[in-house]
Parts: sequence; C-alpha cells; structure tokens
Amino acid sequence: MRETFTKGMARNIYYGGGIFFFLVLIGLTVDTVNRLPATDNRENLSEQVIAGKRLWEVNNCIGCHSLLGEGAYFAPELANVYTRFGESTEAIKAFIKYRPVDGVEGRRSMPQFNLTDEELEELAQFLKYVDGIKTARNWPPNIQG
Amino acid sequence: MGSNENQLKKASQASLVSLLNLTFFPVISFILLLIIYNKTTTENIDRYYAVIGIKTNLIAAVALILVTALMILLGGFDSPWTWVYVISYFVFVHALFILFATWTMVRSWTGKKLTKSFLSK
Amino acid sequence: MKYESQGIAKLYFIAAIALFVGQILFGVTMGLQYVMGDFLFPEIPFNVARMVHTNLLIVWLLFGFMGSAYYLVPEEAERELYSPILAKVMFWIFLVAGALTILGYLLVPYARLAELTMNDLLPTMGREFLEQPTITKIGIVIVALAFVFNIGMTILQGRKTVINVVLLTGLVGLAVFFLFSFYNPHNLVLDKYFWWFVVHLWVEGVWELIMASLLAYVLIKVTGVDREVIEKWLYIIIAMALISGLVGTGHHFFWIGTADYWQWFGSIFSALEPIPFFMMTLFAFNVVNKRRRDHPNKAAVLWALGTAVMAFLGAGVWGFLHTLAPVNFYTHGTQITAAHGHMAFYGAYVMVVLTMISYSMPLMRGQKAANVNAQKHEIRSFWIMTLSMVAITLLLTGAGIMQVYLQRYSADPLPFMVVQDRLAHFYWAREVAGLAFLSGLFLYIYSFFAKGPEVADVE
Repeated sequence: MRETFTKGMARNIYYGGGIFFFLVLIGLTVDTVNRLPATDNRENLSEQVIAGKRLWEVNNCIGCHSLLGEGAYFAPELANVYTRFGESTEAIKAFIKYRPVDGVEGRRSMPQFNLTDEELEELAQFLKYVDGIKTARNWPPNIQG
Repeated sequence: MGSNENQLKKASQASLVSLLNLTFFPVISFILLLIIYNKTTTENIDRYYAVIGIKTNLIAAVALILVTALMILLGGFDSPWTWVYVISYFVFVHALFILFATWTMVRSWTGKKLTKSFLSK
Repeated sequence: MKYESQGIAKLYFIAAIALFVGQILFGVTMGLQYVMGDFLFPEIPFNVARMVHTNLLIVWLLFGFMGSAYYLVPEEAERELYSPILAKVMFWIFLVAGALTILGYLLVPYARLAELTMNDLLPTMGREFLEQPTITKIGIVIVALAFVFNIGMTILQGRKTVINVVLLTGLVGLAVFFLFSFYNPHNLVLDKYFWWFVVHLWVEGVWELIMASLLAYVLIKVTGVDREVIEKWLYIIIAMALISGLVGTGHHFFWIGTADYWQWFGSIFSALEPIPFFMMTLFAFNVVNKRRRDHPNKAAVLWALGTAVMAFLGAGVWGFLHTLAPVNFYTHGTQITAAHGHMAFYGAYVMVVLTMISYSMPLMRGQKAANVNAQKHEIRSFWIMTLSMVAITLLLTGAGIMQVYLQRYSADPLPFMVVQDRLAHFYWAREVAGLAFLSGLFLYIYSFFAKGPEVADVE
C-alpha cells in the first residue's frame, strides 16, 4: 500500500464521510417527513384505523403476510387486498372470520383469531387505509401483490 | 533488483486489468491485458500472471457468455425456467470468477505463484 | 489469554451456540411448513416459528458480539475488564429474559402475550424482528447499556486502539439505534420509515463496524501482519460502509409511500454498499498472503477468509442483485429478498462470530489451537454449513425468479398462493439444504469435544 495515503487520512475520511452523510440522511428525513401528507393517506387515519393497526400488530399478521412488501413471504401481500377483494371491507372481514380453527389440511393455514365484529371492522378499515397510501409507481406492480 | 520490481509491477497490472475485464471495463481491459502480455518476459512472474489473466478471462467468456447464450437459445427467451437458470447461474459463476481474479491479484502483489491450498506459503 | 476476565466470553459463546441450534431447529420447521402448510398448525403457526427463528438469531448474535467484546477488549486495552461481575450478572439476566420471551412466543397466543405484558401502556409489539414485548425491549436496553458501560470504562481506562474504538462505536450505535424500536407511530408510512432506522442502520450500518473490527482483530492475531496496516484498512472499510450505507437506507424507501427521489438516492448509494465488503475480501486475502506466521489455528484463518468472501457474496453481490429501483419494483418482498437475507446474515454476522469463537475458545481452554482432529471436524463443518447456505440461497433465488415472473412481471399475473404451489420443488430442495446445514452445525459443536493429537506450535 502506498505511503502517500496514510492511516490519518483514512481516519479523516471515515469521520468526515460518516458525519457528512449522517447529516444528509437527517436532512432528507426532515424533507421526506414534510412531504408525507401528500401521499400517506393520513386524512383517513381515523380512531378506527388506529385500532385496526393495533390489531394488525398484536395478532402479528406481519409474521406471515407482507405489507407494502415488508414482512413475511408465507402468505399474500395485503397492502392492496382491499382492491383485490373488490374494494370490499365485508369480503376482508368474512375471510378472517371464517378461518377454520384446525386449518386446511395440507395447505398453508391462517389461525382463527376470534375477533369481534367491531375488531374485524377496525382491521378491515386499516387495510383499506393502507390501500389508499400513494406508493411510488403505484406499487405493487399488479393486483396480485 | 530493478528488473524484478518491474516484473512485479507488470504482474500486478496484469492481474488488476484481468479483474477489471471481469467487472467494470470488459473487452477494453482484455486488450490492455494482451498489450501487457506482449511486454512480459518468458519464464518470469509477470508472464505467469499475464497468462493466468488471459486464461481466466477466456474461460469466463465461455462460461458466462457462451453458456448463458446456449441456455437462452435452448430454453427460449420467453420461458421463466430459462431465466431461473440463467440469472442464478450467471450471478453465481460471475461472482466466483471475480473472487478468483481478486485472490490472484492479491497473490501477484507478493510476487509468488498460486498454490494448491491458499493456506500454503 | 492474557487477562483472566477474558474468560467471561466463554459463557457468552456457549449461550450463543445453544441459541443458534434453537434458531436452526425452528428454521427447518418453517422450511417444512412452506411445503406442508399445516405442519404443527395450530399449536405452532408459521408466524410463531418465524419470530422464534429471527429473534433467536438476533439474540445469539448479540451474545456473540458481547462475548467477542469481552474477549478482545481487555487484550486490546491491556487491562482487566472494568467489572467482571457485572458482565456475569448481565449474562444471566439477558439469557433468562430471552428464554422467557421465546417461551412466551411459544406458549401463549401473541395477542394474549401482548395483554399479559401490558403492551397497551407503550405499544411496541407486532413489527418484524421487533416482536419482543415492550418489557423485554426495556430489558434489552438495560443489558446493552450495562454492557457498553463495562466495555467503555475498560477502554477509557486502558489503551485505546483503533480496533477497540471502532468496536465500541459500533456497539454504542447498536444500542442507540435500538431505541427507535420504541417509536411506533399510528401513521404506517412513518412507522415503516423509522423501523429501518433500527434494522438497516444496524445490519447495513453499525453492525458492519462491529464485524470489521472483529475481523481485523482475528487477522492481526493469526497473521502477525503489522497493526498499522490493518488499522488503516479498517478505517477505509468502515468509511465506505457509512458513506454508502447511511443514504443507502433509501433502498428501503422506494415503495412505502415516501417521496420519489428515494428511488434515485437509494439506488445510487446502496449500489456502493458492496464496496466495503469487497474491501474486506481484499483485506483478508492480502493479510493472509503477506502473513508473517503460520498460526496453528488453521480453522480460524479459514473462518476469517470465509467470512469476508461470504459477506461479499451474500450482502454485496446478492444485495446488489435487487437493490436498483427498476429491478426492486418487481422483486420487492419476494423469495429474492429471503435469498439475499439468509446469505448476508450468515456470511457477515454468523461467520464473524464463529471466527471469533474459533480463534478464542482454544485460548480460553489453555491451548494455542484446537487439536488436529478437532480442527479437521471444525473445518469440515465450515464447508458443510457454508456450502449448504450457498445451496439455500441459489434455490431461493431460483424460486424468487420464478415468483417474480409468474406473479409480478407477467401480463397475466397469477395469485400468490397459486405461485407458491408452483415453487414447491425449490422449497423441498431448500429444506434438504437446511437439514444439511443443521448437520454441519452439529458437527461444529462436536468439534469442541473431539480428541486428538495436539498441533505443533509452528511460529
């Protein structure tokens, strides 16, 4: 290795580069957060939707499904399930409600969560809210997610 | 010794250019490699690494371009199976060639030849 | 080993390997559930097996990082650990809390676990990799702070080497970024944006500092190459890690509802992320070639080289494969992601911990290196695990390509579940590779008990 490029120079690039790009990340974050109202569908972030998000979390739906492409890859993408089910919250609720307790033999099975009708409505409203988020290039690429 | 230093430099250059041919500057790097080969002296370390570079890239050309082209020809451009094999194969085999060329380049810096086991001196 | 307190690492490493076994057992369970969908349903549904698998991975790697720090910091700082008793107490607290959490996942439905642990007071449960109850997360913070304090005081009162300081920086970063796991906004886009401040800034950020410093340490020890050379390389590597990885976080912001410019920033910067891994490969190859000694622990040298190579392949190459936005548009959230994720984690983090264990365990047992027989088994286990992981990755890559073609790219896309059925052969083969991996792990453990002739101490 050349003697012209010293350890001190390398250290300075590390400190300088690290700090500089950390600040860039902060800057971009501030800008991104400021721009969010245009795309994040917050106008539909009702108490019901908030409750639905909580149900999504405490039942660990992300443990099998993906949401906006993030999560597990065992079960379908759900960001656009509202559209995929014909823009019907009833269809979403029915699907969750009628999961058989012992699963479907030989098939990947979804648990029966024993949710109340109110909870089912909240969860469906949450998924409708997610469907309304304006993603770049309208991700996912098609209806199948 | 002056000539040894010169040879070492050419060996390192040959190996670097060989790696560049496999990565960012294909074809043009191969031409450079041939030019370096012409400048090397027989029986010495610089020729050794220039030859390895040329051989590696010729084999890589067959493995990566010819074989891939055959896969596409035989499997059909429209079949998903073609792409299952082509993409997995290309990424993996290309990466292996890059690793081999990287190891060779680092080895050329020491002025020693390649050995059977990378743990032997 | 020069300082008595280095021996605390042994406790941490044993726990790490035990949890590693647990992780893989649940891994092969999930692999089977991929093709026999109702296997163990409803007692252990897929999502429960998954959270056990991923959480065990994270916790065992943390035990591994902590053990590695307890081993190397006293030696680098040239003094005993600040508080050995604190390290021992924290070990048991972390182990018990971790075990209870895993048992919680397995024994009660997740929603019930949320109730029992009073998630409603500060809801942090239910996100990927952050499934831990809030009280467990608070426990992790306490353990992390105690650990960083202990290591930090040791370094502060001792010799500050580049390796020491870079390791400490990485560990402090790990603790600080984990705090983002407590931020769980109602707004899903915000939720996802800041979730990556834990996950990406960990594994594509501060964890790379940890990995690079551990690798540098082992390479100094087994090759005898001049510290100045190694430290310069270390600075270059971590500089590139941060320069590429910080704004490279943007490759997770393509499709979650944020501004379009992330497709540019994320693609360009994350395309540079393979650079530090390529440099680690160059670095490892170089110092082994220029070595001044033939260390009797050949296994450790192999693990070190293997770490650099597999991290480059898994994190660098496979990461690059789907990091550009135009490609990622089709591959986001598919088996391509799983393929990359597995090889990246194994190559970068599993292997660097195993490298540290390989190097330090014999020394903590009073030998320069494990006996000839033990090393032979260990080296064999290296190849079995590594080649199995390559197979798993290639198979999931194939599955992912097929999935993308059928479900994302096609003009007439098929439904998710239909596509998954078409991928069954890939998944069955992957399961075989997974079982091979498990057998490699068992051989690895056996190697610590194998008897044989001692190595000749060649200098």
